[in-house]
Amino acid sequence: MQLHFIDYSIIILYFLFVIGVGFLLKKKIKTGNDFLMSNRSIPLWITSLAFISANLGAQEVLGMAASGSKYGLYTAHYYWIGAAIAMVFLGVFMMPFYYGSKARSVPEYLKLRFDEKTRSFNALSFAVMTVFSSGISLYALAMLMQTILGWDFSLSVWTAAGIVLIYTFLGGLTSAVYNEVLQFFLIVLGIAPLVFIGLHKAGGWEGIMHNVDNVKLHLWKGMDNAANNPMGVDGFSLIFGLGFVLSFGYWCTDFLVVQRAMISRNLNDAQRTPLIAAFPKIIMPLIVILPGIIILALQNQFPGFELPKNADGVTDYNMTLPVMLSKLYPSGILGVGITALIASFMSGMAGNVTAFNTVWTFDIYQSHINKNASEKHYLYVGKATTVVGILFSIATAYFARQFNNIMDLLQLVFSFVNAPLFATFFLGMFWKRTTGHGAFWGLLSGTSAAALTHGLTVAEGKGGWITNLHTFYSGTSQAFNIAWIAFTVCFIVTVLISLATKPAPREKLIGLVYSLTPKQTDPSKAWYRNPLWLGIIVLLITLVFNIIFY
Amino acid sequence: MNKLFDLRFVIGTFFLIVGLLLLLYGFFSSESDQSVNRWCGSIFSIFGFVMLLLSYQKKADESTPD
Repeated sequence: MQLHFIDYSIIILYFLFVIGVGFLLKKKIKTGNDFLMSNRSIPLWITSLAFISANLGAQEVLGMAASGSKYGLYTAHYYWIGAAIAMVFLGVFMMPFYYGSKARSVPEYLKLRFDEKTRSFNALSFAVMTVFSSGISLYALAMLMQTILGWDFSLSVWTAAGIVLIYTFLGGLTSAVYNEVLQFFLIVLGIAPLVFIGLHKAGGWEGIMHNVDNVKLHLWKGMDNAANNPMGVDGFSLIFGLGFVLSFGYWCTDFLVVQRAMISRNLNDAQRTPLIAAFPKIIMPLIVILPGIIILALQNQFPGFELPKNADGVTDYNMTLPVMLSKLYPSGILGVGITALIASFMSGMAGNVTAFNTVWTFDIYQSHINKNASEKHYLYVGKATTVVGILFSIATAYFARQFNNIMDLLQLVFSFVNAPLFATFFLGMFWKRTTGHGAFWGLLSGTSAAALTHGLTVAEGKGGWITNLHTFYSGTSQAFNIAWIAFTVCFIVTVLISLATKPAPREKLIGLVYSLTPKQTDPSKAWYRNPLWLGIIVLLITLVFNIIFY
Repeated sequence: MNKLFDLRFVIGTFFLIVGLLLLLYGFFSSESDQSVNRWCGSIFSIFGFVMLLLSYQKKADESTPD
């Protein structure tokens, strides 16, 4: 792929704007709270778009196009089963606890609801995960730029890391959030023409229907058995594993996304943030999955759309979007497309770094190292943590380059930690009898159960490092099954230990548990301000999509 | 200076510049088939202009006394 002067001009213009946002916001940052929490002053439309954009990283943009090509329309389950319902649940039921408790982070809510050890366990695992995720994002960006544009690996790593450092260091979370909104529009407007041109070239939806294997154009067909659909999963593991455990675990407890709602100006805005974000989220498959399906139709009609093989000789589905960009975009709009890809990587990296510095400063440093310092002091700690987080990310990128398999290993370990987390929150928020000991040991046993299940099962040659008791049809199926097993173990252990230990006094749980929290009412009575009505609309639209694409 | 803090102003300016760049390139480039750049340039410019308009609209609203 060859870029021209116009393409480079657009990339450089984007870099100047994101850095400029950091400089503009610098003067507004005076305290640790401004830097790490945006002083809870961000308008609803910005928090909503930042909420969705924090999840619109490279994995979403490149990965979903790749999955679209590999699994077809089944990939949309990640949106219509794996996101929309959980986002509604977060907005309607969980935000009142996060926002109303005045917690500054998800681990801090765990401290208020349970105890210090549960918070520390969550904070430490989250801090490690975010910094490694940021590094993996950086590594993936550099490798992609090296592969498709021939850019030097180190140049890509240091340039991207340097730009993210400048704008997050200067403007903190507000700067990251503002840039996420810019990145959202850039990604949508930069990739949407690709879908339009690709669809036109493929002969419209009729052309897709004629040239793509029919089994890849459904959502639910063949879900009775893992052998009958391209994803290799069965209906139960899809609904319970992805639709409940993984989805709710990510959207309702991952501080990276929840943080975007927590910086809203009031509780109603905080509740509506994930609900309004759900509207673009449910139509996002048009932008990120459809290119993967379109390329299948183009492969049947035109030469040059074949995907390259990776080092192992296997089709590299991650090249779906780059191949489409290079074949369908002329210079000019190609620069916008490449900038959109870079933006997705930088958005993912900045989101991780800002979540990391908040959790480190509030939940580890302030909690364990220096409790009563001034706001100015925590501002300096937050800024120093940003620099350290970026340096760790760079180190991770180089480490991943040396040991390619480390990426798979890290992502696997992350899934072990994330899978049981929702059980802890679910019980903590809706069962007042849940105790700190129950939550802590439940989390530990859920994580262990996830690791054990992976060690005892095999899918696509992975896992089974203890012995092989069962072989799954696909890695996706294995991941979904690990998730629901970890959730169930965490749930049962938490309940049993909670029943055997002393619960927290009732007055300590007010505002933290559903049954002990006064219900919010909106005096304006306007439907569009009512989280419940918005949630119902989101669910109805999701249901309609599921029926149409059955 | 306050206007620069308005995110709509920042986004609007960015897309207006990118849109105009694409339009200029689309009309004056010697490369064939520039219709994509012209179309996208127009859409980006309109989007940028609307965002700028919204940011000015907000300023006008704020300056109106209750």
